[in-house]
Amino acid sequence: MHSDTPHILREFDLAFESLRNEVIAMASQARLNLERAMQGLLERDIERCRAVVADDDEVDDAELRIDRIGMETLVRFHPVASDLRLVITSMKVASNLERISDHAVNIAKRARKMIARPECPEVTFIEPLYALADQQVRDALSAYTDRNADLGASLQLRDKDLDKMHKRLIATFTSRLEEGGEKAEDFLHLVFVARSLERIGDLAVNIGEDAVFLDSARDIRHEKPVVPPDEGRGAST
Amino acid sequence: MPLVTEAPPKVRPPTPPMTQDHPQSPATGSAVPAAIPAIQVKDVDFCYGDNRVLKDVSLDVPTHEVVAFIGPSGCGKTTLLRCFNRMNDLVPGAEITKGSIVIEGVNIADKAVDPVQLRRHVGMVFQKYNPFPRSIYDNVAYGPRTLGERRKSTLDEVVEKSLRRAALWDEVKDRLDDIATGLSGGQQQRLCIARTMAVDPEIILMDEPCSALDPIATGHVEDLILSLREHYTIVIVTHNMQQATRVSDRTAFFYLGEMVEFDSTRKIFENPAHKRTLDYISGRFG
Repeated sequence: MHSDTPHILREFDLAFESLRNEVIAMASQARLNLERAMQGLLERDIERCRAVVADDDEVDDAELRIDRIGMETLVRFHPVASDLRLVITSMKVASNLERISDHAVNIAKRARKMIARPECPEVTFIEPLYALADQQVRDALSAYTDRNADLGASLQLRDKDLDKMHKRLIATFTSRLEEGGEKAEDFLHLVFVARSLERIGDLAVNIGEDAVFLDSARDIRHEKPVVPPDEGRGAST
Repeated sequence: MPLVTEAPPKVRPPTPPMTQDHPQSPATGSAVPAAIPAIQVKDVDFCYGDNRVLKDVSLDVPTHEVVAFIGPSGCGKTTLLRCFNRMNDLVPGAEITKGSIVIEGVNIADKAVDPVQLRRHVGMVFQKYNPFPRSIYDNVAYGPRTLGERRKSTLDEVVEKSLRRAALWDEVKDRLDDIATGLSGGQQQRLCIARTMAVDPEIILMDEPCSALDPIATGHVEDLILSLREHYTIVIVTHNMQQATRVSDRTAFFYLGEMVEFDSTRKIFENPAHKRTLDYISGRFG
């Protein structure tokens, strides 16, 4: 439960508004970096890749700002209950977003190396994994901004699909890699790109778990995700 | 039973029950004693004349726990605290009009209960420290002496034990004959706590005990509250919510004479069940 009633101190509401806005802005930047890194990879656009590397500093700065505002808010206002959870989760979400942006940078750097080489058509194999990871990130951020515990909790289970897809891709790229030839280096890059996308999915799950804590004060980290009955039966047959 | 007898006994008697027909504890004789709350408040209404200031309040204060009462001014928390040792008896027109408050199996709202005897079981520490203008020793020895204790060795023992429990002994042991009002504010408040403990109460009520103290003295009193939990049940009224989170096991939130929510302090301050509680603890009352 949280309250929309204004605080008796206007400064309190301003500080929390500032914290929320910083996290939303940082999330937009991190997602933009990921999108540009993937576009750079898929469309062989070197400028987008460079922009991702250059703009990562903005995400790093945003993380520092959010931590500073969070610390100040804790010191000045001693928030409790849902307010305290908002400060704690905002700082944790910022940390996860910073790592998502770092993975976007990793992808952009791999993309730059691949762009310098002859085109590799198999790069498109990575698109479904990106779509899934990006959807996870978007839903994680929606769960956080909308305080939607159900949506946040659903990410744990959906991450299993991403993991399965990641494993299949790694198997494909590894077998091609073992075949050797001119494209071996490209497949090595794609293995790392797939690995980054899988990690981004994990980070989205972390944000989803933070959203659950924010909304309902439940800590679901390290809990086994609950499989809906229908899916459970389907999996066993 | 009168507090002062005309011929004081030489040996201090054990604290007597509050009434002669003190009932047996329900747990007596059972293999596994049930945890009986130190205070059981049931459906209590309290009125100052026509003004109903407590409405249907029910809660159990568990033994050897610290329970904090929080809420805005005028919500009834101090009124309820003062019911526990019948301090409200001194206010004309003030009375419990419904319900019961059971301490040690006795409904202390019953007029048959001697408030003086009750206060031997339920001590109180006030907002403003109020030592007598006498020596440190005399302040602590006052209660036992009033109860008839005259033996120097016993009084010495009680004074030392009470001051030790109040974490004050090391600071005052070499100047027990100094006047109490010469102590610092925090020391005076701890002396008042020692004075309360000297008559062996089971329950200690604290009405904003740190509101007149600086942070260091407040820290000493809070440490003391935590250490006293082993021996006493403590109910504390506080406007300082950080203090409630630091010292109490459970917290009750009052608003306009109603007890809105009573739960573990962690639950109240991390995820309260009622929006009114959330709005109050997070500073949104307007």
